[in-house]
Amino acid sequence: MSNIFKTKLNAATIVLIPACIGINYLGKLFAQFLKLPLWLDCIGTCIGAALGGPVIGGICGAVNNIIYGLTTGDNISLVYALTSLGIGIAVGITARLGFMETFPKSFVCALAGGLAAVIISTPLNVMFWGGTTGNVWGDALFAVTQANGMPVVVGSFLDELVVDVPDKILTVIIAFLILKGLPAKLKALYDVNAEIERLD
Amino acid sequence: MSALSLYVDKGSFLNKLHPYTKLLYVFAAILIPLIGGRLLIFPLTILFSLILLLTGRVFRRALPLVAFSFTLIIVIFLIQGLFYHKNENPLFNIRILTFYREGVIYAAGIALNILNMLLSFAVFVLTTAPQDLVEEMEKNGFSPKFGYVINSVFQIVPQMMKTRDTIVDAQRSRGMETEGSLFTRIRAFLPLISPVVMSALINTRERAIALEVRGFGRRNKRSYITDRKKSSADIVISIILAALILAVSVWRILSCLS
Repeated sequence: MSNIFKTKLNAATIVLIPACIGINYLGKLFAQFLKLPLWLDCIGTCIGAALGGPVIGGICGAVNNIIYGLTTGDNISLVYALTSLGIGIAVGITARLGFMETFPKSFVCALAGGLAAVIISTPLNVMFWGGTTGNVWGDALFAVTQANGMPVVVGSFLDELVVDVPDKILTVIIAFLILKGLPAKLKALYDVNAEIERLD
Repeated sequence: MSALSLYVDKGSFLNKLHPYTKLLYVFAAILIPLIGGRLLIFPLTILFSLILLLTGRVFRRALPLVAFSFTLIIVIFLIQGLFYHKNENPLFNIRILTFYREGVIYAAGIALNILNMLLSFAVFVLTTAPQDLVEEMEKNGFSPKFGYVINSVFQIVPQMMKTRDTIVDAQRSRGMETEGSLFTRIRAFLPLISPVVMSALINTRERAIALEVRGFGRRNKRSYITDRKKSSADIVISIILAALILAVSVWRILSCLS
């Protein structure tokens, strides 16, 4: 259990981070291209977390949003670096606990990621946007809760829940399918418990 | 490279400033209205950012950044104006919808904050090369490994964008549907993304080996190609900004006490 947070910071894991950020970016682009009502912008974070552990997952998520903020001038996504960090850590921990091994188990991973996203995003949404998320379906629900006099936090929580959890479930499923297809010689690079045998 | 970064070298005054000075400006422009706590301070910082964008000749490039936030701002006005929980005094009616004073003021605060953050950030992003910022941070002790992470994203993403177009064309020529019902579109997602992702991950192995060979893991002190010194303008601007933040904080504390 003690090695959940164990991380190898060698060239292989360092190179994994930009690749994962690229994947995040691509997921977002394809989701827009296919006009899907989901974000799918953290597939790379999930792959990074599953391969490199929670620390690498967290870094992938945070750096992803920081770079996105720096390049598109969209500094609102800078704030959500915290959310991405949380997703990376949550998926990383559950993956290390073995919830990324089989397809049914990966749903636990997805739920952990989704809940981390909801719990961290809700206060941010309330602080910066007064509770809305910018997603049509979620915001419609938010408007309904506000019209019925529910507190802002509850409305915002539900708003985030209906959008984030399905999004993260699909994200983790995609990440799972991709991970299954990776060659073993690549995955061996990221095995924390692997030891290098010296022949001298 | 230009596919990802918004930076353009216009040779302007802002381009020549040290990245840290511009970062301090962003920090000050966001903090001053928040510390001041008055709605009226926002237009001042927004106006100042606009003037900077105009003098830096990047105003036109800043417009698309701001434009996308307008839908969000409209949604916020609708929801808060109609349903804000402290709503009491009606402001105006559109048919059966009643907008309330409190909600509209609350929404105006959020909208101004968003605009202010976006514009002040645009000043920074449009006039600073990300590589410059990373290099300055590395000189101040930021880990070169993470510096590499940030810089290489700017190389990897444009590469992936190129492969993206190839894959969309290839899959379409095999008859894959990318339009239609939601289910069809979700099903198209995996065949589109997995080839790029696979190749990207498999490439990491070779990239890692290439880096190791070039001494990536060394811990010695590194030298830099460019040597950038803070100019006197940098120092003066930094002092003014810091003084402004301090002045606003003192003013706020005093106005709270009295």
